[in-house]
Amino acid sequence: MSYKNLWYGHRGTHYGYCISCMTKILITGATGFIGRELSLALANKGYRVMALCRNTAHPYLIKHKNIEPVTGDILYPDTLKQAIKGCTQVYHTAALAKMWSRNPDAFYDANVTGTRNVLAAAADAGVQKIVYTSTCGVWGPTLNFPLTEDEPRIVGFPIAYERTKYLAELEVQQFVACGLDVVTVNPSRVFGEGPVTDSNTVGKMVSGYLRGKWRIIPGDGGQISNYAYLHDVVAGHLAAMDKGISGNRYILGGEDISFNQFFDTLGKASGIKHGMLRVPQKAIKFYSRVEWLKTRLTGLPPFFLPEFADRLNFNQKYSSQKAADQLGYRITPFDQAMQKTVDYLKQA
Amino acid sequence: MPQLTAIVTGASEGLGKSFAIELARRNYNLVLISLPGSGLPQLASYLRKNFNIRVDEIETDLTNAESYPGIFNHLGLKSITAHMLINNAGLGNWSWFEDKGTAFYKKQIELNVITPVLLTRLFLEQANTDTTSYILNVGSLGGLFVVPKKQVYGATKSFIRYFTKCLQLELSGSKVRISLLSPGGINTKPELLVMNNRLKGLSKATIMEAEDVARIAIDGLLKGKKEIIPGLMNRFLVVLNGLLPAFAKEAIIRSRLKLILKS
Repeated sequence: MSYKNLWYGHRGTHYGYCISCMTKILITGATGFIGRELSLALANKGYRVMALCRNTAHPYLIKHKNIEPVTGDILYPDTLKQAIKGCTQVYHTAALAKMWSRNPDAFYDANVTGTRNVLAAAADAGVQKIVYTSTCGVWGPTLNFPLTEDEPRIVGFPIAYERTKYLAELEVQQFVACGLDVVTVNPSRVFGEGPVTDSNTVGKMVSGYLRGKWRIIPGDGGQISNYAYLHDVVAGHLAAMDKGISGNRYILGGEDISFNQFFDTLGKASGIKHGMLRVPQKAIKFYSRVEWLKTRLTGLPPFFLPEFADRLNFNQKYSSQKAADQLGYRITPFDQAMQKTVDYLKQA
Repeated sequence: MPQLTAIVTGASEGLGKSFAIELARRNYNLVLISLPGSGLPQLASYLRKNFNIRVDEIETDLTNAESYPGIFNHLGLKSITAHMLINNAGLGNWSWFEDKGTAFYKKQIELNVITPVLLTRLFLEQANTDTTSYILNVGSLGGLFVVPKKQVYGATKSFIRYFTKCLQLELSGSKVRISLLSPGGINTKPELLVMNNRLKGLSKATIMEAEDVARIAIDGLLKGKKEIIPGLMNRFLVVLNGLLPAFAKEAIIRSRLKLILKS
């Protein structure tokens, strides 16, 4: 169904009848990889989207007549209070999702304090329901079988992003205990048609491959991760708002794919075949220590860090079964999703 | 070779959880012990699903006198012989002596001292004398250094140090291997991690991840090491401790105390 048909189709009954046209929704992180696509999907459904941005002139902010940019920052509660006025739903997708930040407190501030601020503002404003975007990183590495929501984490939290997203989930639980209706979604490694930024790690890999700059496969290439297609994840957010049960978490993933399968599929989708160099984990770990030292001495951003090298010893397999059962979540086959991503990045 | 069985106390969180996972990856059957309501059943079923091992879970409060025979009665009824005992459960603190009540110290001493002694005693009673049995007692570098605000905790770990070293002598002719694990700081709860992240320089370098400590500890235990000190910086500190004269150590601790008093 195209957005145009939807719009014209119900124009006659617009005033006073169409629920979605009156519903005002706040979305934080509207310029982010998930947030921008989510705001577009909501706008196309006819909702009024309040897009919270620190900079309303941000190039990744989507222009649409139903998307209203609001200047604000999740670290400044007053701006949230203004932006949230009259909103009945909130999607909190804003987060610091990088590998490294010059200011080590930035992760805690954005991910934990920011989430607390958004939830507090929502509670004050009487918002009906909130969908909070967490990550499969709160579980991180897995053992032999795909992990489900109730299963435990098996390693510590050396990675700042994962640690602070976990702490943010504890904040969510506290608000849920006080009666706020919050549903948490946990996407895995999200990829798809969108800007290639620091937090879009899969996009960096794919576009690097297309330009002939990414030529390595870590270890023997057998390490498996879960890759979620952007449009599936966006649909999962909408379904979570619609059907998600307060206080619950839903893994929004895709297929479990090894590095070898990943680059095979990427090669087929792009028609570009590169000879790939397989680099042993130990060599990557050594290199990551050099990078760590470089960052310590010069303050320059590292390309890779030891805590990420350690991850190459584990799989990250996740099951989206709960979301499929309760939310009707659907997974686009990996090769199709990769084809669309490649086509997009080739012309971008 | 038949599958061996390991008992891990305090298995649901932190270092204990890492021991359980490390041993599961090495194909040990597990008997996991933890307080009720600490997430033990979830961990046990996760390990059962992912590994071809038997996992028994016992939710009990190890400060109850009946819990010790209870554990081994359970094993006896199911005809399980344990080949390894990881005395991991413990209660830490970081507070001035007068800030905690008598009930807390009683519990701390029971869990850190009485529990490992009695479990070791009962473990040896059931151990198969034909095969090698292993005991790992989790001490702390705090058992070696005097650290302010760790008065009772450090004292219990000093007890464990003496107890372990003495048993090593007594059992030197037998097939029982006993190791003392003396870790520095470990990143266990992420809530703690926020605090550990504020540490700088030397103090930060002594902090390790639980899964690394568990792996190094099991390697050392199986090799029959008497004392396992994970981490290069921690081993360096121990060597330094042996070299420095008493007055220098005293001065370092006093300057540390001044820092703590200021904060």
